[in-house]
Amino acid sequence: MTTPTSGNPRAGGGPDATGKHGRAGERGGAGRGREGDHPGQPGGAPRSLATRQAELVEALTRAKPVPEGFDAVKVAAARVALLRKRAGEVARQWPMLAAGFGDRWKASFSSWAATQPTQGSLRDGWDFARDLDGRGELPAIAGAELAEREARWSYDGSAAPRTRRGPAVRSAAGTFAVQVAGHVRIVRLSYAGTRSRKPST
Amino acid sequence: MGAAVAVAETAYGVGIGWRPEISGFVAGLPGLRFAEVVAESVHAHGDLPDGLPALLDRGVAVVPHGVRLSLGGAEPVDPARVTHLATVAARLRAPLVSEHIAFVRAAGVEAGHLLPIPRSFEAVDAVVANVARTTAELPVPLALEPIAALFDWPDDELSEADFLTEILDRTGALLLLDVANVYANARNRGEDPLDLLNKLPLDRVAYVHVAGGAEHQGLYHDTHTDAVPQEVLDLVTELCARHRPPALILERDGDYPPAPELTAELDAIAAAAGYPAITT
Repeated sequence: MTTPTSGNPRAGGGPDATGKHGRAGERGGAGRGREGDHPGQPGGAPRSLATRQAELVEALTRAKPVPEGFDAVKVAAARVALLRKRAGEVARQWPMLAAGFGDRWKASFSSWAATQPTQGSLRDGWDFARDLDGRGELPAIAGAELAEREARWSYDGSAAPRTRRGPAVRSAAGTFAVQVAGHVRIVRLSYAGTRSRKPST
Repeated sequence: MGAAVAVAETAYGVGIGWRPEISGFVAGLPGLRFAEVVAESVHAHGDLPDGLPALLDRGVAVVPHGVRLSLGGAEPVDPARVTHLATVAARLRAPLVSEHIAFVRAAGVEAGHLLPIPRSFEAVDAVVANVARTTAELPVPLALEPIAALFDWPDDELSEADFLTEILDRTGALLLLDVANVYANARNRGEDPLDLLNKLPLDRVAYVHVAGGAEHQGLYHDTHTDAVPQEVLDLVTELCARHRPPALILERDGDYPPAPELTAELDAIAAAAGYPAITT
């Protein structure tokens, strides 16, 4: 299987891992929505490239309003394409989660991710799986995938996952994962039998 | 610019974007002399991805292609990302590196994709500053790739050709020309792709990308997961009739077809460009 760090070699400690979205409160400030509020048009206070780039990213990743002057249909097409691309990347990191949705995967993930900017495909899939598990909607066949990662890694939902030092028992969708010294044993309660997995390398 | 000119004068022919999923196929290409790898997929330290060392041992030039530097961002590039790109270039003994004229994040939020920047002087200034921050640390020349954009900014001041030429002139960078992006942009804007080809400084092209796409709801998407359309191959021929670039690579990023289809695409690019086939 893929180890959680392999998909994003820079996940640990890079600027993407901070989870911070702090930015100056320029959005919605003076001039927004008025005529002539972008450079090149007389009468509007010039707004910086940084501000306008941030607004565009907000529109694409949090379904915020499309900034004035853009072709809303084309920006919406880009937003959908972006979500489908993310869905494909998450499916590679979380194959059982995607399989659990079958041909509804891209639509289901996109619906959830529409207001969640990406934190990388490992964490995106993890957050989605936890969200589903919390609502009792995690597909049963995705239980072992989540439980194993929960047992093997420590992930606080805001920073890159880290390898656990001590033993752990975690469950998801009726499947338990028991991790001792890096070895994980999967126990499914829905039917008899156990199987063990060697540690990922 | 001495090193840059040397890069541009080496004719590598047809190559391919190396990806782990097609590593075996790439390893079996007898005539391969040029490949590209996504820079962020290579660790700065530790083992290179399986399959890459064998290509390097064969003498294949492997170029790191960055996708997350955000050279077009209004904010300064992250020094750690620049260091990573420079380190990977040195590890691969690459003749050059490449990145995009695009931004991928703003105010700490990742877009998850390459986004267009306005064709304005303010944006040119931002790119020039970020390229300077990057090339100061790179051991080899940098080639800049214009992206396929599904939408444009409302405040474009420059034509695409003037915008790109301005950036290249002020940075001294090489051009990574993606003919599929040229095709996609022209089609979606209702323009003739040859108009752009006729105005670009083609002697600055370090290498060329060729990729497939598909139309969804009236817009052509540069997917890299579909076959290369004939129109893009025709554009390769038009480009090479004007100025043949030293290398052209096929970019495929998913839904990998069976090997015979990839072979046929590489052969079609070679035929369109007038380079020898690399598959036999």
